[in-house]
Amino acid sequence: MACYGTVNKQDNFPEVNRRSFLKNTSLATVMAMMGGVELRADDAPKPAAPVEPALTKIPIGPTVKFGVIGLGARGRDVLKELALLPNTPVAAICDNYPSSMRRAGNNDAPKAQRFDDYQKLLACPDVQAVVIATPTPDHREMAIAALKAGKHVYCEAPLAHSVEDTRAIAVAARDSVKLVFQPGLQERSHPQRYFLLPFIRSGALGTVVMTRAQSHQNTSWFSASSNPEHEKALNWRLHQATSTGLMGEIGIHQIDAVSWFLRERPVAVTGFGSIMHWKEDGRDVADTVQGIFEYPDGANFVYDATLCNSFDKDYEMYYGTQSAVMVRDAKAWLFYEAGAQLGGWEVYARKDDFYTETGIALAANATKQTAIGTSATAAASPWTPLHYALEAFAANVGQRDIAVKDFVDNYGDSDLKALADNIKALKPYAHAADWQDGLTATVLGIKANESVVKKQKVPIEKELFDI
Amino acid sequence: MKTRPSFSVKNESCKLVAGLAVLMLGLAAGAQTHYAAQPGGASVKIDGTSTAHDWEMEGHIISGFLELPAGVSWDASQTSIPGLQGNSLHATVHARIPITCMHSKAEHMPEVMDRLTQEHLKADQFPRIEYVLKEMTFKGPHAPGKPFEFDTKGDLAIAGKTNQVSFPVTIELQDAGKIKIDATVPLKMTAFGVDPPAPNIGLGLMRCGDDVKIIISWTLVKR
Repeated sequence: MACYGTVNKQDNFPEVNRRSFLKNTSLATVMAMMGGVELRADDAPKPAAPVEPALTKIPIGPTVKFGVIGLGARGRDVLKELALLPNTPVAAICDNYPSSMRRAGNNDAPKAQRFDDYQKLLACPDVQAVVIATPTPDHREMAIAALKAGKHVYCEAPLAHSVEDTRAIAVAARDSVKLVFQPGLQERSHPQRYFLLPFIRSGALGTVVMTRAQSHQNTSWFSASSNPEHEKALNWRLHQATSTGLMGEIGIHQIDAVSWFLRERPVAVTGFGSIMHWKEDGRDVADTVQGIFEYPDGANFVYDATLCNSFDKDYEMYYGTQSAVMVRDAKAWLFYEAGAQLGGWEVYARKDDFYTETGIALAANATKQTAIGTSATAAASPWTPLHYALEAFAANVGQRDIAVKDFVDNYGDSDLKALADNIKALKPYAHAADWQDGLTATVLGIKANESVVKKQKVPIEKELFDI
Repeated sequence: MKTRPSFSVKNESCKLVAGLAVLMLGLAAGAQTHYAAQPGGASVKIDGTSTAHDWEMEGHIISGFLELPAGVSWDASQTSIPGLQGNSLHATVHARIPITCMHSKAEHMPEVMDRLTQEHLKADQFPRIEYVLKEMTFKGPHAPGKPFEFDTKGDLAIAGKTNQVSFPVTIELQDAGKIKIDATVPLKMTAFGVDPPAPNIGLGLMRCGDDVKIIISWTLVKR
């Protein structure tokens, strides 16, 4: 495979191949991976036990006090998830729009200090880590200021609106060896994804010949406000001057997933896009887009997204010569080709019908409480991807703080290289994207959007990812 | 009267020279050799067993120092160590290992073992494992080019309880004034009042065995 475009970075996931995967994957292993729940094809499915999220969580690490900057819909989602975790109190919140502050403060973070200026929040000594959930163009200034202030940073994806801003954030994150920087690539923390990695990377699909993903919604993205200035600010995603479009703002997660799973990076993208339906609100961002990402080995990725039709929602498909895998809603199914070599474990897995196909459920469930539900559409996990991502962030922040303190207490803090080496040797407590993942995914989203806007093929030079 | 001053000057000069000589000899005699811990030069592994499988923890921080007494010097090419009293080396060693720097090597849920270790070793009250050398005996003769071998006795403090422990040590002389100390210390957790952890993970309850081995590799640099 050509190295140009290949993601060389190690992601702490063990190397697997088809032979060793099949050889080493016993029925018991697969059963254990599936949560020890025997899912015979001819058994009547059992209903999943009800889950009390706040009561069943055990903190992975010590308490980490949070500050949340940006209290729009995403910021409020963040506050709700933090409230479900046992070790993530919110010490401070920030928004420069008073009604957003009141709504979030009164409903989701009543004990938090309130600031209308993020610099004041960053000066707050109670805050150890911040979540930046503001419009994308604000991320650069805020993320770099937060790192300078010594705060760990969870920055929503995409990291920035331009390649230059993205690289500036990545450099600051790379150089902040004492701090955790996690981009909001939330699927990178989801257990289901780590359950699937060996299936896909081992070659269990045969040779991967192409991938495809979609995000279909029926929503305008438009938010109305009685305050015209605020309405303009609210609708930053609808304008090219402030938005990375559907490719960058929502496509980033699936674009990232494909590159991550296949451990490759596309070398070019050709995009198309138009405003097909939402023509009355003055937007200049396409509401329907398609893109073809060219991969070095020819296994290209086809992506489409629309805000005009919600049929079949969001999913990814990985097509191989032996089988195909569909990933959707934290669940996945394997579809064998006729004559494909079977592993033997499939008889224990639940089967779901998809028109004329039968999908073998691939699910990561840790306990019976989170056992796969009664149907293909039942929730596989009570937790959202954002929940897992914030839990992972808090765990890794707690671990990093202790590691830095141990090092400084014993060796001082004059040798930053030695400190960085010590941190590098540390295996993070929880799976999470890092600054390199954020840089890669954001640049890919920006380039795809650029192709949509320019209506031409755009090369993706490997130098964009070197810092 | 005329000669007194000159005699006096000569006398004072003699005293000065003699004094300087005594001082220099004294400095030479009192010149201890100090080796200090440095970042990146430490590895601590704890190997243990359990009812399910063996387990391992690892850390990379050991602070402290080794000090050789005056008159003792070592050379990798020699078979002996000049300046020993019999076979005894009256060195001073203090070593400290922060408990929170020790991390489980488990593939899954390493944080559970980390947390249990910190709880069982009472890391909140006693954040470090500490060691103070009491006796060090050269096992000579030394094979040139190989590490020096010693038997040691010292006080080891874990979780607030101090026990005397004995274990062999090798010291390798390296370039740039560095020395590398290697040792394996077998212990029983219960000897330090520590109940072996029993993490409730996976498919059932697992109980760690009482016997553990602490494997240390520690590089220090001459200061």
